[in-house]
Amino acid sequence: MSTLDEPAVARPLPAPRPSAARARRSRPRLPYLLILPALAVSLAVIGYPLIRVIVLSFQQWGVAQIFSDAGPPFVGLRNYSRILGDPVFWTVVVRTLVLTAVMVGLSMGVGVGLALLMERVHAWVRGVMTFSLIMAWAVPTFVSTQIFAWMTEQNFGVLNYVLGLGQHNWYTDAKQGLAVATLIVVWGAVPFITVTTYAALTQVPAELVEAARLDGAGGRQVFFGITLPSIKPVLVIVTALSIIWDFSVFNQIYILRNGAPSPDYQTLAIYAYMQAYQGHEYGYASAVAVVTVLLLLVVSVFYIRQLIKTGEAE
Amino acid sequence: MRRAVRIGYSAAGLLIAAVWAFPIYWMVSTAFKSGKDMYSATPQFVPLHPTGDNFADVFGDSTFWQAAANSLIATVLTVVLAMAVAFAAAVAVARFRFFGRRTFLMSILIMKMVPSIALVIPIFLTLTEIQDASLGALQLTDAVPGLVIAYLAFALPFAVWALRGFVLGVPSELEEAAMIDGCSQVQAFRRVTLPLIVPGLVATSIFTMILAWNEYLLTYFLISSPEKYTLPLWLSHFVTTEGTSFGPLMAGATIIALPVAVFFMFVQRNLARGLTAGAVRG
Repeated sequence: MSTLDEPAVARPLPAPRPSAARARRSRPRLPYLLILPALAVSLAVIGYPLIRVIVLSFQQWGVAQIFSDAGPPFVGLRNYSRILGDPVFWTVVVRTLVLTAVMVGLSMGVGVGLALLMERVHAWVRGVMTFSLIMAWAVPTFVSTQIFAWMTEQNFGVLNYVLGLGQHNWYTDAKQGLAVATLIVVWGAVPFITVTTYAALTQVPAELVEAARLDGAGGRQVFFGITLPSIKPVLVIVTALSIIWDFSVFNQIYILRNGAPSPDYQTLAIYAYMQAYQGHEYGYASAVAVVTVLLLLVVSVFYIRQLIKTGEAE
Repeated sequence: MRRAVRIGYSAAGLLIAAVWAFPIYWMVSTAFKSGKDMYSATPQFVPLHPTGDNFADVFGDSTFWQAAANSLIATVLTVVLAMAVAFAAAVAVARFRFFGRRTFLMSILIMKMVPSIALVIPIFLTLTEIQDASLGALQLTDAVPGLVIAYLAFALPFAVWALRGFVLGVPSELEEAAMIDGCSQVQAFRRVTLPLIVPGLVATSIFTMILAWNEYLLTYFLISSPEKYTLPLWLSHFVTTEGTSFGPLMAGATIIALPVAVFFMFVQRNLARGLTAGAVRG
């Protein structure tokens, strides 16, 4: 893709640096040595566990296998057929998809909206906005979830007071409880989206905007013709990351429910956790994890396509 | 007219900032309230009788200091390892064209997509097995070194990607000019590019630090003994089946979040620039 922040003036042609290019080509081993440690570590901490989780999903892996010397037996697709036949699993999938759509939609809408707003406010207001967003960003999810738990506390929660709800319990109805969880996720996710999008907006080439203005383009045309295409790569990545984070949301719901979310609160990540660490069904839980990653791949296929396109153009 | 519009936008911006900051304000003000003032029918928006008791509770608790030490060790180890390994890789992908470069970059991005839940089960089982195979000589589950291994799984892809953005941000023409003036390639890199990347290195390390400092899910899976708790895990002991002690919890939360917020203020601009540079340049 076009390198937006390197205007054509700075690099008229890719050709005129033969000396450096030659110097670099004459030492082909160096880059491999440089990536070797990263490659080794990531294979160990991500690659191997990923392969392992796939293998586990085809095995019978429970308490009995942990305490026996015989290896866990392969059971073919049994874990998967058990998942697919479990109506609870499907409810969890639908709940996870709906929650993800709502969370990503809200955080992207608010986040990008705030970034555009930040471009239009006085500099000191921008400073104040950045400050409060950064504060929200910096808070660990355990802390933010407890803050919201305190704000929605049945008898003394400030939210009930402000909304005039009296002694309202937010958690008897899972829909309302999940709405609180959504609020926590969006509150914590918007700062990253806003700050990143705002940074991308400041990199939109001013010459292009000016030229378009001179040619008589209106605000809307400039936005859709120049601004949006320029920040699109950033928006794609930020959306993809939001989908990944929200699809595997765990902390906010799990902590909000004090470590015992009832079935109508469970998302895929929580469901997998409950199977693994409470039921000690590691094989089954791994199958759930694998299905989660597969669903995530389907959901983020657009992002991957964008990546491949980017890679080809480079 | 234009001015009026700008004032309107600014007012909206301030209102949103206030709404966004409110939960933090509520955490800090709760931390300064006594139990009686916290649990009043009408919430006190400003603490009427501010007290330091909740903070004294936290600082007087030896398990707090133990957890702080664990958090510090795990965080420092993660940052040092991730940065050393990631920086080398970032330089390679930003400065050299080599066979397999695109595949490597693509893998890094895909690794950023893997959710913790898919990694935590195999990491837990593998660490258990290594521990068993070494007959307990290598204590990895329920131990801080095991945490560092798990933290690297999310810290490394992030660090490679962010640092790559920063290295790309220094035009290689600058290095080439230094080489024409007689520097070797390594000298050119060390004298020209490295000083210019320092802000990026600082921003990325601080952000990696924050990720490790705040991490909850992996830690919760891998740690079971209270003396191995990190700070976010330590906070959870204020939550019991009888109820939550929100006063000391909010004081502890304030203490944990404060250094992070301060660091964040310093690096957020740099960090956002590095992240978007990486994205915009594909």
